[in-house]
Amino acid sequence: MRRPPRLEEDTAALPPPEPARSRRSPLDDPRVLGWGSIALVLIVWELAARLSAVSPLYLPRPSQIVAALVAMFASGGLALDLGITLWRIFAGFAIALVFGVLLGLWIATSFRARAVADMFIAALYPLPKVTLIPLLIIWLGTGGPFMLTISFLGAIFPVVINTVLGVSQCDPGLVLAARDLGATPRQIMRRVLLPSAIPSIFAGVRLGLGVSIILVVAAEMVVGKTGLGARLYLAGQILETEQVFAVLLVLAALGIIVTKVQDAIDVALGKWRAE
Amino acid sequence: MVRPAVAIEFDEIGLTFTSASAAPTVALEAVSCRFEAGQVTAIIGPSGCGKTTLLQIARGFLQPTRGRLQFVEPTERRLADRPPMATVWQAFNLFPWLTVLDNVAFGLDLAGVPRAERNARARRAIAAVDLAGFEDRYPRQLSGGMRQRVGLARALVMEPEVLLLDEPFGALDAQTRLILQEQLARLVETSGTTAILVTHSIEEAILLADVILVMTARPGRVAARIEVDLPRPRSVATTHDPGFAVLFDRIYGLLRDEVMRSMVSGEGG
Repeated sequence: MRRPPRLEEDTAALPPPEPARSRRSPLDDPRVLGWGSIALVLIVWELAARLSAVSPLYLPRPSQIVAALVAMFASGGLALDLGITLWRIFAGFAIALVFGVLLGLWIATSFRARAVADMFIAALYPLPKVTLIPLLIIWLGTGGPFMLTISFLGAIFPVVINTVLGVSQCDPGLVLAARDLGATPRQIMRRVLLPSAIPSIFAGVRLGLGVSIILVVAAEMVVGKTGLGARLYLAGQILETEQVFAVLLVLAALGIIVTKVQDAIDVALGKWRAE
Repeated sequence: MVRPAVAIEFDEIGLTFTSASAAPTVALEAVSCRFEAGQVTAIIGPSGCGKTTLLQIARGFLQPTRGRLQFVEPTERRLADRPPMATVWQAFNLFPWLTVLDNVAFGLDLAGVPRAERNARARRAIAAVDLAGFEDRYPRQLSGGMRQRVGLARALVMEPEVLLLDEPFGALDAQTRLILQEQLARLVETSGTTAILVTHSIEEAILLADVILVMTARPGRVAARIEVDLPRPRSVATTHDPGFAVLFDRIYGLLRDEVMRSMVSGEGG
């Protein structure tokens, strides 16, 4: 097991910078800035599209996009496509998470497993996973197993790599303390190595889920008849530009939700790291 | 509490670390000593003399490359199994993701003690180190001295027959150290446990120990065995006792020679 030098526990860790009590202007509030700039872009876009002669075929107005979005949800089955895409992403991702953490623990604690895995990871990790789509279609067809596999492949590498990293960086003193208190090797793995690796595992989850989303949508664009990616591709084929933007909007919203949920989980998990 | 009945005997114990790339390192040469049941034995010596190594051998985490480690029941004159032991660490080694209560209850939890009982025992141990009210804090939220009291409670809650103290106050400031030394002296006196204390501090050794072993610079051997016959309970006031000064000077004299020797040979630290 690699044991990088650890910083001494710093009792004098500085508190995070206190947010200023009195703000000079609402422009100092990151929320106002974030949402305000989005609103500003939309307004400028709407005005520019109305005032210029650009065809809505190229650049539909935000109001048209929202109308298309509402229509697609109301009667076009966009909710079903969204559900299908979410299922594909999260089912494959969930398998990758469980399998990846177990595999990572094993690799991190077994010299032999590590030697073998290092080669496979070095060979497979840098490979763009989209390049596997043709092969996977040959093997699995284009149905559910294919989608699960592609989502799984997106998430598995970051999860495994970050689990290994997190376990390797566990303070050896904690392992010794657990042994001293009578922990068996299994208990050390479950009660010490795993919890100490959780921040690192979660960083891997962030990366992995992002790749899973990309891969599932890309795969849907290539082969799908259902799902957001398929919707996007078909709308583009028939030059329904508002619908293209509407699906992009859904994907962007999905990205925001996923990121914010991850932030919230990070805060909950990090209680003991704060202060 | 059951009186501990097992003494720990080191018979010519040596430990040499071999490595493929460098010359073998002799951490301990031939250490013979005995840790009496129910007594506090302090091990003091220059940096790198193998004090912690000795503790790890007693704990069973390191295997000696020569010599014999024995657990003896003196009254029955026969060998015994390794008695239950618990360690207090210089770096505290608390689990940062667990609260104070869960840290202290950790060992009981591993042993399968039901939740209600282990929490009750953990709360008693926390109260014994004056940390009642801090059960739900995380280690990061505590000062160094408080963290080490959690470390002490986590070891004592296991009701060990042997308490191993590996420079327990080495990472603390001088004032905190004094207070914790007094607290530890009281806890060890009342629990009647056997204790082995590794320390750099002569004062700490005299305040806490019944017997002090002075070790030589690497390779480590026992240079002297000194009985501390100052009355108990001991406290900071003990340091004004004339007997304290005599012991201090004697140990300092022995240590100074060893530290000088280790500095000359380039192994001091």
